[in-house]
Amino acid sequence: MHDTRQTERPLEDASAAMPDTSVETKPGLTVKLEGLRAFYGEAEQVKGVDLEFRANEVTAIIGPSGCGKSTLVRCINRMHEEIPGARAQGRVLLDELDVYGPSVDVVAVRRAIGMVFQKPNPFPTMSIYDNVAAGLRLTSRGRGDLRAKVEAALRGAGLWNEVAERLDEPGAGLSGGQQQRLCIARSLAVDPEVILMDEPCSALDPIATLKIEELIDELKQRVTIVIVTHNMQQAARVADRTAFMLGGKLVEIGATQDIFTKPSDPRTEEYVTGKFG
Amino acid sequence: MSSAGSSSDLLARFDVSPSRRRKDRIARTGVLAATVLALVPLVLIVYYLLRRGLGSWSTTFFTTDPTGNTFFGGSSIGGIKSAILGTIEIVAIASAISVPIGIGVAVWLVEYGKGSWFANTVRFFVDVLTGVPSIVFGLFVYIVLIVGTGSTYAGYKGSIALALLMLPVVIRSAEVILLLVPGALRESALALGAPRWRVIFSIVLPTALPGMVTGVLLAVARAAGETAPLLFTAASTHLTTFNPGQFMNSLPVQIYDDVISATPAVEHRAWGAALTLVTMILLLNLIARLISRRSRLA
Amino acid sequence: MSPASSADDGRPPAVSPSSSASKPPRESAASDGAHAQGRAHFQEQLRELEANALGGLDLIVEQLDRVLEALHHQDVELAQMVIADDDRVDGRYLEVHQGILSLLALQAPVAGDLRLVAALLHMIKHIERMGDQCVNIAKLIPLSGYEPPVHREMLDALAKMGAFARSEVVQSKAAFAARDVALAEDLVRQDREINRLNREIFRLAIEIGDDPDTREWAMHMTLVARALERIGDNAVDIGEQVAFVVTGLFREFSDSSRPPAPRAV
Repeated sequence: MHDTRQTERPLEDASAAMPDTSVETKPGLTVKLEGLRAFYGEAEQVKGVDLEFRANEVTAIIGPSGCGKSTLVRCINRMHEEIPGARAQGRVLLDELDVYGPSVDVVAVRRAIGMVFQKPNPFPTMSIYDNVAAGLRLTSRGRGDLRAKVEAALRGAGLWNEVAERLDEPGAGLSGGQQQRLCIARSLAVDPEVILMDEPCSALDPIATLKIEELIDELKQRVTIVIVTHNMQQAARVADRTAFMLGGKLVEIGATQDIFTKPSDPRTEEYVTGKFG
Repeated sequence: MSSAGSSSDLLARFDVSPSRRRKDRIARTGVLAATVLALVPLVLIVYYLLRRGLGSWSTTFFTTDPTGNTFFGGSSIGGIKSAILGTIEIVAIASAISVPIGIGVAVWLVEYGKGSWFANTVRFFVDVLTGVPSIVFGLFVYIVLIVGTGSTYAGYKGSIALALLMLPVVIRSAEVILLLVPGALRESALALGAPRWRVIFSIVLPTALPGMVTGVLLAVARAAGETAPLLFTAASTHLTTFNPGQFMNSLPVQIYDDVISATPAVEHRAWGAALTLVTMILLLNLIARLISRRSRLA
Repeated sequence: MSPASSADDGRPPAVSPSSSASKPPRESAASDGAHAQGRAHFQEQLRELEANALGGLDLIVEQLDRVLEALHHQDVELAQMVIADDDRVDGRYLEVHQGILSLLALQAPVAGDLRLVAALLHMIKHIERMGDQCVNIAKLIPLSGYEPPVHREMLDALAKMGAFARSEVVQSKAAFAARDVALAEDLVRQDREINRLNREIFRLAIEIGDDPDTREWAMHMTLVARALERIGDNAVDIGEQVAFVVTGLFREFSDSSRPPAPRAV
């Protein structure tokens, strides 16, 4: 397994977001896409992709706008089919189980495969505590020691120290970066095996972005992470492996270091050096 | 070019031309005139209501039923207690019918049926219904529930007519509010692994609640003032009754009855009743306004 | 690192969902026009930097020509000029070095561009070393004394070495500019000749005789030979950089006695 790159971080203040690794870790799962195709009505946006996301690794998907990377990722947790007229074909294997299997419960799939979106969106009517607990309550798993689970999730997201004193305040009152970490905590609370991130930092300032990137580095010990990003430097910093998509197809996937120093495919070379984008 | 010259050039470019100023003033005056013109009847109504209605307000006015005596004036004609209570009860029942159904339809239109031809058809007919004259609803209930069944007027039949009136308004305003709930909220709730109905009840509806309450209160305010539907359905009576199966008095009908009376005291009472009705509606609007201010949408 | 099914023309498809379906989630796109322009500027800067660095090799050829002539005619003044002009080589080094730092900091080059920048950094270092070797040769010339004894055979060998060294420098520049790996690998062949001549000169120096002045002169000439041999090695190193830029692999060129060991960088 590749080392993630260690770049120098700016010195952080005392209330900085350092996730608490005393939380119990457990291995994530491998996700394999086989012949995945995705449609919006008649238009085919993902045209047959075979791809593997290794367990407990961060895989980044890069590519120009419209290449289908967001659509691809939404097929993994079956959110794609929520759009009217949209459908997907092919297999998505979580470990050995095909999440598109005939008897598979969509809701259970989404509990195992969480998602963090581009714009942070805590539930506006709820406090910080309720936001994190929402996942558990909505999925009827609100029994047991809710308080402990909420704290664990907030620690896992590196937010506990900043909000422990004000769990009853509205979630929408936090800064952008904190809100996004709250959304991550909310996803963590339901204990997923995989977390999908669709451009999680593009609405955030550079400091908040850095904190989340560090968080991703910590989180991969517990979950498999797939991150879609249009920011190549971010992919370079954060990902173990990087996949390049173009026109709905996978062009190349490899160790991030290789993709950014000697990519095999000339199209990848052109894209990462910025000849088109 | 000297620096003074170039800065005065700049000034010339940024200065507003006199013809522009003139046009601006004309437009402003015109729009102001239109506003004043529109306000005049409104002010006049309020003025007349206050002048002629305030005088009949007294404790007996609110606490005694109309007696039906029209020969003598003064205290023998009674107050409007039954009318006030009747309006409240009829409208309350109408709301109890129309609000749950209306919100249910709106939820279906936005959350489940979006984009389907059936939903579009439903929406079209709802829009049509908002424009139907209120007397038609009264007539409909009259024919179906009174003539058709051979039974008589009753308070609850008035409620049904008002509920039909309120239904399209509730549906429309609830739908608008639900559409304003950001899709991202639903998405993130779904992505957590919540079933759709859970998402609607626990996330979407609570977020939309203040806006929907506002819409409901406005529908209620409208229904409270409708006379025509009640004429053929609840009819009127003088006595206070809480049994919706009987004839029931209501403010609009009371006003209708009193206004055409020959006795000036009774006519005076009509003004007082009208002022009462307007005040009640005003209060409802104020409450709706206060609640909507606390809303996080629109 | 296996590429999956190939895309047709490499351009993303236009998305046209049916009227009832909503649009696919939009990814935020940077304004493409400005992006392309920024990179055009960067490409130009990169080309200039490369031209600058390769120009350094031209400087070396100049220096080499002059110092060989000074050697041939025992021209002390010419030797002094060569020493003074090394400032130009050092100046070129600083220029290119600064350009590289600037490019790395401001443009964050990746993939092929990154390899090129790394190679230029190596190249300019080798150029600077070659310049220093020319200075070393120049410094040895006045030391040969007022009336140096001249050994024909040795001077011929040195002239031949000088010719090979010059040819290697010119060829390394051509190979880099054209990204010609075969041409770069050919440098090894010439370098073997230089090494052979170096050993030859060393042997001649040992057998030169008992005259102390002659022996002193011969020792200085072995040092000259060594400097020329080092120039050849530096040119071969530049050739290795050519292979790195093209393939992404760094391996030492060597003669057939030692097989090359591929090393991923």
